[in-house]
Amino acid sequence: MPIVEISDLIVRHDTATGARLPVRRDDVVSVLHAAGDWRGARIAASLPHHNGVLDESAVGRLLVRTHTELQRLNEELRIAEQLAEVLGPLLAAVVRDGERPRVVDVGCGIGYAIRWLAVTGILGDVELCGVDVNAALVAEANRLAVAEGLSCQFVHGDAFALPSAATVYISTGLLHHLHDGDLGAFFRAQADSGAQAYCHFDIAATRLAPLGAWMFHRARMREPLGRHDGVASARRAHTDHELLTAARSAPDLMPLLYRPLRHSNPFCASVRPILGIRPSTSRHCEPRSANPRVT
Amino acid sequence: MVSAAITVPATLASIALIDAALAGFRAATGRNGRIRKHGYYLAAIRRGLIAGTAVLTCLALVLTIVLATAPDPSTRYTDLTHAGITMLWIIGPYTAIALASLAGYAVLPRRPATFLILLGLGPLTLIRPLVTIAAGLAAASTAPNPPTAACAILAATSVLTVEPWLHQRWYTKPA
Repeated sequence: MPIVEISDLIVRHDTATGARLPVRRDDVVSVLHAAGDWRGARIAASLPHHNGVLDESAVGRLLVRTHTELQRLNEELRIAEQLAEVLGPLLAAVVRDGERPRVVDVGCGIGYAIRWLAVTGILGDVELCGVDVNAALVAEANRLAVAEGLSCQFVHGDAFALPSAATVYISTGLLHHLHDGDLGAFFRAQADSGAQAYCHFDIAATRLAPLGAWMFHRARMREPLGRHDGVASARRAHTDHELLTAARSAPDLMPLLYRPLRHSNPFCASVRPILGIRPSTSRHCEPRSANPRVT
Repeated sequence: MVSAAITVPATLASIALIDAALAGFRAATGRNGRIRKHGYYLAAIRRGLIAGTAVLTCLALVLTIVLATAPDPSTRYTDLTHAGITMLWIIGPYTAIALASLAGYAVLPRRPATFLILLGLGPLTLIRPLVTIAAGLAAASTAPNPPTAACAILAATSVLTVEPWLHQRWYTKPA
């Protein structure tokens, strides 16, 4: 039975134009029923609508609230710090003389990772850009960036169709939203874009992940949608094998997956990155951490 | 040597104030997407402390009335102190573990700190209402008279009202 997230069902876009499409509430409820997800169906059935079509602005506000709560979880688990720890050496390896690197966050949501990098300046002189297909989330990311006077930009649209190419693509918590069949295309799009590398953090598919996700979303989040989707995310996380297989379909960017050592603490392996780097530049890359095994 | 008659209420009041400060922090979390939020969280903690002080003042008032109306105020005070000790047997270890986890999170490097979050602070937040209710019920069930039992239940439940009230008052909408 497929595992579905409500947030993936309540927003639809035209793949050609990126325009928002109407979503019927009954359709969302039906999909969740078909997946055997009664709780999710109850949550979806309570969403505001006009004549059976979900209220776009209410859905936008709900997703902003959910992402803001999710940011609090990421802050506590220091996800952006983990990202910077990997991204620093990666950028140092791929940046060429005189070139200002451009980091693009795919599916940036309200832009937490990019804004955190902008505030800390931890990567040095880097152009920071977040891209998301959801206009409400991008608007919130921009609002927050302006409010804090940050030097970064957020764009509504396709991360692989930007006027300027990315040096490194990043993401946090995006990969599990992609179906197995779409993962290969995702990695190939990055290779085709001319990017030097990618670094995508996502939930590790462990037996403890759903339990940990339940506990933390229960303890830290108030929105029923966020609590529901948090657990679904952990249950549908891609295995290491699935990720590496998909990433290898884009051989221009050699994939590396950080794995915990055999007897490492399973709680510390809740989120881990998959990296890709062009073979021509990989010889300059020296992983700093002594802990992870790289496959 | 300071007697239990002073240390028990003082310890319980201190724990309640720390809990109220953290309740203020929790009430404000997940409602502000900015990166720099020190001022925001400090204000939330201050609100928690003020609300906690108000709750403690009300409790002190109730306890004063219970003592003043007791046939023997001295014996009633001893009963209340014993109820407080029973509560401390449950709340004390929980508080010690929570404070140690918080201190660890603040000072340790990232990996052990996040480990503490996963193993300590997350589950501790989840069980906090259960621990508080258990402490109140344990004190009430061993209390020698109904007024003392009622005071124990009131003290436990009033502590739990701080966070929802703060959230409802200031943080229902994202900042």
